[in-house]
This record gives sequence, structure tokens and C-alpha cells, in this order.
Amino acid sequence: MCVGFEAPNVTEMNDWIAIGALALVGLLIPLGMMAVSYLIRPSVPETSKRATYESGEVPTGGTRVRFNIQYYMVALLFLVFDIETVLLFPWAVVYLDALESDAVSLFEIMGPMVVFVAILLLGLGWAWRNGAVQWAQTPRQVEADRDRP
Amino acid sequence: MEPIQLPEWTALGPALLLAATAIALFVVDSISPRSTNRNVLAGIATTGSLAALGVAVWFSMAGVGATGVDGFGVIELFDGQFVVDQLALYFMIIVAVVTALVVVASYDYMAGHTYQAEYYSLVLLAATGMATMAAANSLVTIFIALELASLPSYALVSILKDNRGSVEAGLKYFLVGALSSAIFLYGISLVYGATGYLQLGNIASVIEAGDAAAYDGLLGLGILFLIGGIAFKTASVPFHFWAPEAYEGAPAPISAFLSSASKAAGFVIAFRVFTEAFPLEATAGVIGIDWTVAFVALAIVTMTVGNFAAATQDNVKRMLAYSSIGHAGYALIGLAGLSADGGELVMGAAMMHLLVYGFMNTGAFLFVALAEHWGVGRTFEDYNGLGRRAPVACFALAIFMFSLAGIPPLGGFWSKYFLFSSALEAGLLVVAAALVINSALSLYYYSRLVKAVWIEDPVLERDALTQPTGLYAAIVVAAVMTVVLLPGFGPVVDTALEAAAAIV
Amino acid sequence: MEGVFDYAPAIALFPLVAFVVVLAFGTYLPKKGALPGIIATGGSLLLSLVMAAAVASGEAYHETLYEWAAGDATSATGVEGVSFTFGLLIDPLAALMLVIVSLVAFLVHVFSLGYMNAEGETGLPRYYAGLGLFTFSMLAFVVADNLLMAFIFFELVGLCSFLLIGFWFRTKSAPSAAKKAFLVTRFGDYFFLIGVVAIAATFGTVAFAGDDSFVTAAETAIDGGDQLFGFDAQTWVTITGLLVLGGVIGKSAQFPLHTWLPDAMEGPTTVSALIHAATMVAAGVYLVARMFGYYALSPTTLAIIAFVGGFTALFAATMGVVKDDIKQVLAYSTISQYGYMMLGLGVGGYVAGVFHLMNHAFFKALLFLGAGAVIVIMHHEQDMWKMGGLKDKAPVTYYTFLAGALALAGIIPFSGFWSKDEILYDALIVGLEEPVIMAAYAMGLLAVFFTGFYTFRMVFLTFHGEPRSEVAEDPHPVGWSIKAPLLVLGVLAVVAGIANLAPVAKLAGVDITFLEHWLDGEYGAIEGLTYTAYGELLAYETSYIGSEQVTVLVAAGLSLLLAFSGAGLAWLLYNKPEPVAHTERLGSAGKVIEDNYYQDEYQVWLAEGLTLPLARAADRFDQTVIDGIVDGTSTASLFGSDRIRRLQTGIVTNYAALIVTGVIVLLLVLGFLGGWF
Repeated sequence: MCVGFEAPNVTEMNDWIAIGALALVGLLIPLGMMAVSYLIRPSVPETSKRATYESGEVPTGGTRVRFNIQYYMVALLFLVFDIETVLLFPWAVVYLDALESDAVSLFEIMGPMVVFVAILLLGLGWAWRNGAVQWAQTPRQVEADRDRP
Repeated sequence: MEPIQLPEWTALGPALLLAATAIALFVVDSISPRSTNRNVLAGIATTGSLAALGVAVWFSMAGVGATGVDGFGVIELFDGQFVVDQLALYFMIIVAVVTALVVVASYDYMAGHTYQAEYYSLVLLAATGMATMAAANSLVTIFIALELASLPSYALVSILKDNRGSVEAGLKYFLVGALSSAIFLYGISLVYGATGYLQLGNIASVIEAGDAAAYDGLLGLGILFLIGGIAFKTASVPFHFWAPEAYEGAPAPISAFLSSASKAAGFVIAFRVFTEAFPLEATAGVIGIDWTVAFVALAIVTMTVGNFAAATQDNVKRMLAYSSIGHAGYALIGLAGLSADGGELVMGAAMMHLLVYGFMNTGAFLFVALAEHWGVGRTFEDYNGLGRRAPVACFALAIFMFSLAGIPPLGGFWSKYFLFSSALEAGLLVVAAALVINSALSLYYYSRLVKAVWIEDPVLERDALTQPTGLYAAIVVAAVMTVVLLPGFGPVVDTALEAAAAIV
Repeated sequence: MEGVFDYAPAIALFPLVAFVVVLAFGTYLPKKGALPGIIATGGSLLLSLVMAAAVASGEAYHETLYEWAAGDATSATGVEGVSFTFGLLIDPLAALMLVIVSLVAFLVHVFSLGYMNAEGETGLPRYYAGLGLFTFSMLAFVVADNLLMAFIFFELVGLCSFLLIGFWFRTKSAPSAAKKAFLVTRFGDYFFLIGVVAIAATFGTVAFAGDDSFVTAAETAIDGGDQLFGFDAQTWVTITGLLVLGGVIGKSAQFPLHTWLPDAMEGPTTVSALIHAATMVAAGVYLVARMFGYYALSPTTLAIIAFVGGFTALFAATMGVVKDDIKQVLAYSTISQYGYMMLGLGVGGYVAGVFHLMNHAFFKALLFLGAGAVIVIMHHEQDMWKMGGLKDKAPVTYYTFLAGALALAGIIPFSGFWSKDEILYDALIVGLEEPVIMAAYAMGLLAVFFTGFYTFRMVFLTFHGEPRSEVAEDPHPVGWSIKAPLLVLGVLAVVAGIANLAPVAKLAGVDITFLEHWLDGEYGAIEGLTYTAYGELLAYETSYIGSEQVTVLVAAGLSLLLAFSGAGLAWLLYNKPEPVAHTERLGSAGKVIEDNYYQDEYQVWLAEGLTLPLARAADRFDQTVIDGIVDGTSTASLFGSDRIRRLQTGIVTNYAALIVTGVIVLLLVLGFLGGWF
């Protein structure tokens, strides 16, 4: 009885030891590599090494520059379609099976996805119309934007 | 009468109508992005929210989701991811009413603003999220609906892009919101880990079957984190920090929207999650403690912090923001009182309070919107003597203030009275006492505002004030409803109790 | 007569409608609102007569109309739940009183045409509205079927008297008199209210009649020897009965709460007539008669009622002797006469008391209206020393007034004699066994002398002799609206005694005691509310001097003798062409009497010397301790508020830190409580 009680406890402990060991190894390997490289590297101080791009090219400004807002816009739109794919994939996988079975009609399996895609397209259209993918403005557009604070 | 036969998915009609309205606004804006035809946009938004209100009221009257003899039974959609019962419809009504009031009032408030279509569609998208929260029946749909309500809210708070206060408020709101969402999501994952289910009913059956007994701490932590997420949405302590700043910086109609509809939506998920997913006794058996204890503590602390902080504010909007925190504390009594047999009553009382609050608090914030529209300033002193210039609006303000304070015979008194008596019946003496003390204190700062507009002399002479139709209409409707809810309280009581009975 | 009782509510509602109509449209109506009042009270009178006829045909009515509150408290006697209702109780007593009240109110309305309208008063809509409300309140009080409803209308009656006494509110004295009347009666009503609460809490019911009345419940409790609130049932019934009696003493102006009544003469004389004859003052005595069964259970209370009544009768009569104002004399006579009624009820003479209530209503209304006529004739002069010789100039007024005076003085065969004699006879036969009652009887008997004296002093000074002022020589003519009510009441004052010729019945053995049969339920009645039923509850022993007939003769002879000697003395002293005042002869006693035994003085002292310092002390307590606590609370709250405000630093990182701290604190607390760690 007593022995039977001890045994599972030990295995449980072993699990935790394994996890701890993994964490330790995970930490030690990078630290060890950094330590080794620190020990064996030669020390040659030079100003060009401190540059942002250590490629011989002299940087023209700081790293903290403003990006054009359009990068974010495009990124956001990209995200939208990314998510669309996430939903479209499983739908496409079950699509044929669903069609073959009589449980659901074509309308029932197509309808929601059509609505979903339509909503996304609508969003894209709205973003487009509102200039989300417009990288440059014609003088006329600039003029029209004047009164938009 | 033969009931009209509708497909099942139409039970979500109110939420779908709100979503459709938002999409319609996008379409209109896509067609002519440069022109801002405010009449068309506000008209669409108003029509959509009123249609959603009408459908919700119709469903509620017709007995959709009612379990009684003449009801159609609870409607479960998408394998139980959504559920349409009386509770859902009740809160959809609240959301739709507040949305309609806010949209109407925004017509004047947002005049001259650039992002008209964006504004209205964001409002309606947020309303869609809130309405969906009312019907969501699974932790994942709840989370998605919550985010659908939250994300437009962040944008709406900072929609006055040239106003530093608005932008700052929006950012703060977003950051605190992100933290809270993270906590909430973590809570969901813990609950999922402990029970293996996301759907509320299944979680409950796992807990009742005792299968989650091994994960007491895990489940308890998950529940605690869920409470955190809900506390954020309802602006309860300690997740209330965003509220004063967001309400103060946001356009006043948005403050009204957030403090009334968004709060109500937060409460509906609280009510549903904690009654459906975590049955009291079974859960207490697993985690070793009644979760109502947490709500008792939160209710007392929230109402105390809210009211005490409101008492010495100089800025009217900020005072209302804190008062809104205080009222969240009152509504939390609905969950705090669940442990006893009178749970149905106390939750019904909280729902009544949220409905009445939807009118009186929206009205109060809309008055602030009116004052901002006039440009009279933000402090109590700036409001001095407004009563002489705009008697109708100021009379309505007096109604809102006294109703918020709970002066008979206004609607706010009755809901507070029900809360008080049901809290007593549930044996929560401390909570009931805190309710009374805080109400007494609240009278101080509410009446201060009434005194300012009616009794004090204006600091400087001002010209005649304009009377914007939309704002006035919304304020008057809210005032009338605050008063009319009193004689019509019978049906409200019945509906709220029925809604509470649906889940308790 | 089946179904006529369905119209019973209308009796009270007619005057209420008149009140509303006059209040709303009075200014535009002809006669400034007199007509709606006359029509309404006339309608009430007709309906009251129908009710009386219905009762005479052997029916009675007891119906709950509306329940306005019900609770589930358990009373001391174990009755579950108590409900408060409005209901009607029309038995012989109520039917009789309905006729009296509506008749007097009707006549007063008619008289007002001559007294108020013809004299060009302003504010008449207010006056007629007040009269309407007054009549409504009193009629509703009369038909009340429970104590709480009675209390409500009792209070309304008090309110209306306040409004009407203070009718001439621009004078200095009228508002003050109105306030006094209100406050003094309110002092009594305070005890009444406690009594109502006590009775409701004890028996769980406030109904007058039926099996679930508090009278029945009290009887059961006494028979069962229950303990109620630490007393035995009998004592508790006495205590509650005395509490209710507080209201009676205030309203019916019994010693020591009678001081408001003489001052109330500041109101229009018509109002005085209404107050004294049928409404306000009568309400007190009527209440005793209404719940007589309850008082009959407690000999102590009855003895107190009898003694207070007898004492008041004498006490007020002596004060009436020296007054110079015609209305003041009548005021003290009212107090005195109500003392008789209390004496009658107190000795168990239920019929005698009610009989006198009826007779007094007629002759006192007559006397007041007569005095009103005299005042009109004298161009609003009220001092009797400035009158004289009106006998020939106003014969109608004179003869009717004389009839009233004879009734008041108790001269055979006028109505007052029969009822007063019956009261004294009832008191005598009980008094022969009970010394306290004997004392009360003696005082009542002595008061007869004074009554005779002051009544005829008033008659002689007013109507006889030579005119003593210019206006008395040139009287103002009066119209039919003044004469007609006087004639009606004059006839009634003469003949109303026929209703109950008890001495004749006893001597001659004839069955002519109609009122006794009426009240004994020989026609219609509610079970338990009859003279016989009350008689069974009474604990009094009676005995006779010799035989019953001898006793009747002795009692009647004694009171007649005293009445005649009083009247005769007045005739000797004042029936002269140029009478002079004889007050000085009374010496210091006269001074005391003229100052009303310093009753006002000590009551003012009670108010100013005792109550005011107490009130000041309470005020001080309120200002310092209570307000201090309140102010302290608010200061503490605002301070706390200021601290809590500072939690909001405006820095998001702080918020995040506080949120996480809050969650961790909750986690620790819940975790410890739930044992998660």
C-alpha cells in the first residue's frame, strides 16, 4: 500500500524535473554560446561598427523614422484577407462532402460564405474609395482634401 | 392569432438589423466618400436602430424566447453558440434604445465633423456587438462579440482627432481595454482547460458532473479573470480606470453610449455566464467558495469608489462618469444577491435598474452634449443659470439627476427600491446599507448640478441659446421615458423578472 | 326598500361635489356658490330621510366599499392580518344623525343667503366650499363603519372648522381663534390616533360592527381573561377607550380642552351654528355613542365620561352667566349641554344621550341662527348691553329664539326638558348606587339652575326692555332666507321632545318612547348595536327612591324647580326697561368666572412655559448633536471623496498596475477562502 503510494509520486516529480531541465537547457545554450563568443572574439573597437547597418554604407538618418501611413493601411487590409483565408480553408475542405450529403442545401452551405466574402469585399471597397490604397494624390484630390480637417 | 412563421435565424433580427445598417452606411459612404450628407446618414442610422428596437420589442411582446405557455421557447442557434431568450431580447431593447437616442442626438452634436459615415457606422457596429453579446451563449462568441463592441468604441472615443483630450482618452481606453481583453481571454482559456468546453451549458454540466474537481485553482482563476473582463466592460472597480478619462474625452453622445449601452451589454454577459456556466452550488463545490463573494466585494467597492469620487468633481462630465461607475456597483448587486433564494428577484431588480439607467444616464450625458454644443464650458460653474435660458432641457436635466439619485416618484427610485428590498430579502445587509449610504451621498452631487442650472446666477451673461432639434428631441424623449417608466413599471417588472427567470 | 342603500354614498358625496364645483366655479355662479351647496345638502337631506325610512322599515346596512391597505401583521389577540377599509354603516343611530346633520347643514346654507350674501361679504366661494367640505366630512364620519375611517373624517372635520373659523382671515382674532381651535382639538386627536393604533394592534380590526368588530373582540378578550400588552383585558380596554376619549374631549369641548370653543365664535355665526349643532362638536359625542359597546365594557371609562360631563356642564354654565357677548353665552351653553350628553352616555343612558344630542342640534342651531339674525338686525353688534327691545321689532326672531331658549333652559314641555330630564333621571338612579355618579349628577343638576339663568338673562337683555343703542332702535330688516330656517327649527325645538316622552311613559304606563324603540332596533338594526345589547354589557346597578314613578317625579321636579328658579332670577334682575349689570355683586368669584377660571392662562403657560423650553432643548439637540453628526458625515465623505479622486492619476501605466494589483488582491482573498493554494 505504502509502496504503491510512493511510486506515482515519483513519476510525477520526474515530469517536472524534465520540464525544468528543458527550460534550463533552453536557457543555457544561448547563454553558453554568447559566453563562448565573448571569450574567443578579438576586441577591435571601431566607430563604423557602431553604425546601424554594418555594411559600409553610411546611414542618412536615425532609425526612428515615420513610415507612410499607407504601409499600415495595406498591412491592415492584408490582415483582413489573411483572416478570410483562415475561414475559407476549413469551409473549402468540407464543401464537397457537404454538397454530397443531403443534410444541407447548396444555399445553406454557400450563403454564409458568400455573405462573409461580400462583407469583406464591401470593406475593401470602402477602404479603397476612401483612399486606403492610394499612394499618391493628384493635385485635384489634394485640393478637395483641403476642407477635410 | 396564428403566429407568423419566421426562420429560426431571424430571432437574431435586432442584431442583424444593426449590422445591416452599419453595412448600409458603408455602402453609402463608398458610393460618395467625399460628400457628407448628414441627413441621409443620420436618417439611415436612426431608422436602423429604431427598426432593431421595434423588432426586439415585438419579439419580446410576442413571446419569442419565453418559456411560458404562450411563449415559443428558448431559441438556440448555431448549435447553441447563440441563444435568444427573454434576457437577450430585454438587453437588445436597452441597447437599441440607447443607440437610437445617441444617433438622434449626434445629428446636431457631430454637425460640421468630417467623419460622419464612419462615426455612424462605428456606433452601429458597436451596437451590433452589444446586441450580439446579449445573445452569445459560448465563451468564444462572447469574446468575439465583446471585441466587436470594444474596437469601434476605442475609435469612437478618439474620433475628435484634433482634440487632444479625445485622442488621449481613446488611447488610454485602448490600452486598458487590451489588458482587460487579455485577462478575459486568459480566463476563457483557463476555464476551457479546466472543463474542456466553451459553451456555457456544457461547462455547467462538466462542473455539475464533478469532472472539473481536480482543477479547483485553475477554474477559480479562470472565473476570476472572467470577472475581470466583465468588470472592464461594466466599468467596475478595479477595471474602472479607463471610464472617467474615456467618458470625459469622448464626444458626449459616445460617453452616453458607452456608459449606458456598453455597460448594459457587459452586465448581460455577466448575468448569462455566471448563471448558465457556473451554477452556484456545483461551482462552489469545485472552487471551494461562492463566486458571489467576489461580486459582493466588487459591488460595495465599486459603488463606494464611484460615488465618493464623484462627490468632489468640478467637471460635470467627469462627475457623470464616476456616477456611472457607482451605478455599475448598484447593478452588480444583481449578481451578488444570487446566492440566496431571492436570486431571481434581485437579478430582475438589477435589470430594471439597467433599463431605467439607460434612459436617465443617456439623457444626462446628452445634456452635457447639449452644453458642449452651446459651448458653455465643462465645470459646474459654467452651467450656472442655464435654467433661465433653456428651461425645457434643464427641467429634463433635473428629472435625470433626481432619478439617478433615486428620488421618488421617478423611475430611478423604483429600480433602486427594488434592488434595495431584494438585497434585503437575499440577506445582503451590508450591500443594502452601502446602497443606501451611497445613494444618500449621490444626492449631494446630483443636486449640486440641479442647483447650478436652476438656482445659481450665471458667472457671465450669455446670449440666447440655440435649440438643436435632434439633441432636444433625444433629451425630451429620455426624460419622458424616465418619468413614464414609473406608471408603466408593471410590465417592466414583469419583463425583467421573466428575463431573470429565464436563466436563474 | 330593497336597494336604496346603494345610494347611501351619495349622501356624503353630494356636498363633496358641491365643494368641488364651488371651489372651481364659485366666482362665476349666481349667489357665489350658495346654490350648489343648497341643492347638495337638500339632496343629502332627502336621501337621509329615505335611509331613515328604510331603517324604519326594518333594514340596516353594513358594507365595505373599498379596501385601501392590508397587512399581515398579527394582532395581540392573535388575529392574522389587519385591513383598513372605507365602508358604510347605517343603523338607527347613523340614520338619525344623518337626518340631523343634513337638515342643519341645509338650513345653515339657506340662512347663509341672508347672513352672508345679503351682507355683501367677499370670499363667498371659499365660504361655501368650506361649508360643503365640512358637511361632507361630517356625513362621511357619521356613516363610517370603522374607527380609522372615523378618525380620518374626524380630522377633516377639524380641518374644515379651522378653515371656516378663520374665514375672516384679515382680522387679527379670527386666524388666531382658528389656530387655537385646530391645535387644541389636535392635542386631543393625538390621543385618539394612538388609541386607533392601539385598538388595531390589539384586536387586528377597527370595525365598529359585525362579528369581527373590535367591540366583540374586546368582549371575548375580557371574557377569556386575556393578558394584553401586560395588562388584563379590562384595563387595556379602559386605556384604549380613554385614548380615544382624548379626541372626543377635544372635539366636544369637554373640560379641560374646551378653551377653543368660545374663541371659535370669531367665525361667521352660521359656521358656529353648524359647528355647535351638528358637526364638529357633535362629532365627539357621536363617536362615544357609535362605539358605546366598547365603553360599556369598561365601567371606569364610563364613570370618567360621566364625571367629566357633569363637571363640564356645571363649569361651563357658570362661565356663561357673566358673558356680555350673545355668541359667547351660546358658546358656553354648548359646552355645558355637551357635558350633559357625556353625562348621559357615561351613566349608561345611551338613549338619553342621543336624544339630547338630537334635541340640542335643533335648539342650538335655532339659537345660533337666531343670534345670527339678531346680529344682522343689529348691524353686526354682538354686545347684549347694546341691544334691548327687539321683541316687537323682530317678532319672528323673538318667538323662535324664545322657543329655543325655553328648550335650552329645560322648561316643560319644550324638547330640551325631556332629554335633559331623562339624562338626569338616568344619572340619579345610577348615582344612588355609585357615589362618583352621584357627584356628577349633583353637578349636572346644579348646572340646570345656571342654564336657566344665563339663558333668560340673554333673552331679556336682547329682546326685552328699551333699546339701549341707536342701532337697536333702527333694526335692519331680515329676509325669508333668515326667517324660514328659524321657523323650521323653532317648530322642531318645541315638538322634538315627543320623540321620547319617557317620564310620561313611565308615569302613565303608555308606550310612547319612540326613540328608545328606534335605537333598540325595533325597526332595523345591526346586531350588537342596540340599546338592549349595550344594557347587557353595562355593569351599573340602579335603584330607586321609593318606586320608579316617585323617582321620575323627584328627578323631574328637582330639575324643573331649578330651571324655573334660574329663569326667575334672571327675570327679576334683567327683565326691566333699563337693566344694569350685577356682575360686581359676585365679587372676586365674578372676576374668576369672567376670566374663565384662568383656563386659557394655564394652557398658555403649558405651551409657553413648558412646551416651548422643551422644544428649544430639542432644537438645540437637533442643531448640535444631530446636525453635528450629519455635518461630520458629510465632511468625512467629502474628504474621503478627495482621496479617492486621487487614485486617478492620468497615467496609464499606473492604471495597469492598479488593475493587476486589484486582480491579485482578489485572487489572494478568494484563493485563501477557496483553498486554491
